[in-house]
Amino acid sequence: MTTPDRSARVAALLSRVAMGDQGAFADFYELTSSHLYGVAVRILKDAAAAEEILQEAYVNVWHHAGSYEVAKSQPMTWLTSIVRNRCLDQLRRREVDTVTLTSDDDDAPEYDVPDDDMTPAEMLLAGAEARSVRDCVDALDAAPKQAIALAFYQGLSHSELATHMRQPLGTVKSWVRRGLERLKDCLDRAGMGR
Amino acid sequence: MNLSRPDRVGRLDALAASYVLGTLPGRARARLAHIARTDTVVRANIRAWEQRLAPFAESAPPINPSPQVWKRIALRLGLPATRHLDRGPWWTRVGFWRGFAVTSFVAALGLALALTQVAVAPTADPIVVVLAAQDQAPALVATMERDSRTITVKVVGGAPVPQDRSLELWMLPQGAAPRSLGVVPSTGVGRVTLPALPDVALVNVPALAVSLEQRGGSPTGAPQGPVLYTGRVERLY
Repeated sequence: MTTPDRSARVAALLSRVAMGDQGAFADFYELTSSHLYGVAVRILKDAAAAEEILQEAYVNVWHHAGSYEVAKSQPMTWLTSIVRNRCLDQLRRREVDTVTLTSDDDDAPEYDVPDDDMTPAEMLLAGAEARSVRDCVDALDAAPKQAIALAFYQGLSHSELATHMRQPLGTVKSWVRRGLERLKDCLDRAGMGR
Repeated sequence: MNLSRPDRVGRLDALAASYVLGTLPGRARARLAHIARTDTVVRANIRAWEQRLAPFAESAPPINPSPQVWKRIALRLGLPATRHLDRGPWWTRVGFWRGFAVTSFVAALGLALALTQVAVAPTADPIVVVLAAQDQAPALVATMERDSRTITVKVVGGAPVPQDRSLELWMLPQGAAPRSLGVVPSTGVGRVTLPALPDVALVNVPALAVSLEQRGGSPTGAPQGPVLYTGRVERLY
């Protein structure tokens, strides 16, 4: 299914979920859960934690579907942002806790990451359905592109990126910062930014 | 820190970007989320970045969560959990037909109401199908005269149909795939044609359904969109 198709269906279902339509909620779950679970499990790298987040998100959608504002964002953007934010909140909070409580190796997260056929950088490019978006991703240098993709899809922090990419922390930080700036300038020029 | 000040635009933009990307460290992340709750400028910046990066989230290959997730959600919300145990087209799912008993009951309740709203020739023993979402008020009423292949469909409720979608009416024959009767209007009254007179065409058809399809109806001859309403074929002998 193409993105606009799914988007329209999700929006139609959400409006019925807002009215307490249980059948619509079940259809809505079926249509969106594998996408949202994919997003969550890649970031958290922990199946149980990802399922927990998904559960919370859907319970919230059931109660608050009415607060979704059609005019302000695409429904999948809205949903994905909710799930990504919860995952990232948990991940970043975990890091703060680990630093504070001094880490115990037993607490290392289980790595339930799926073996994707695509690398994060390839996903980034695949996400660019519109030509202008693709051009903007293409215009990024390879290293910033990879750093942004790893952070976006797998929730890597700056220091994890530095370790993963075997680069100094400062280098990685500026790759990400400048990469995002260039992406923004390019997308906004192309009218895709909002 | 007032992030909304004009001289801090660049700083705010960078913070919002790393918040959405996910690289903003824990405490800064929590702080920005806290500020965004009351500061609309900060919130708008975050939302703009969510829009920019949204296409990329779409492209990650989907992964099915365990069936337990739906069961736990349904349990917490007190909803029936059966529907998603069996995958496949909705009309082949056990849960769909099981749920149908409830729908029919509600449809029957709605029948009296619906009959008062539809102009039916009282002498003709019409066949009436009240289409509704599960546990909801009637959405459409289909009526057929015994001596005509025309089905009159009247919209009496239901959710508004998006501009770029159409409602499509289906026969649900026992043990066979749905068969399209055509697109019906989203408001007012419309007419579609049965392949034969009602008593012949509906002999093995216990129910009709309405699905939400792309504008103009499903291009494949099978339902593509979700089923919105179902109704049992009631014969008023």
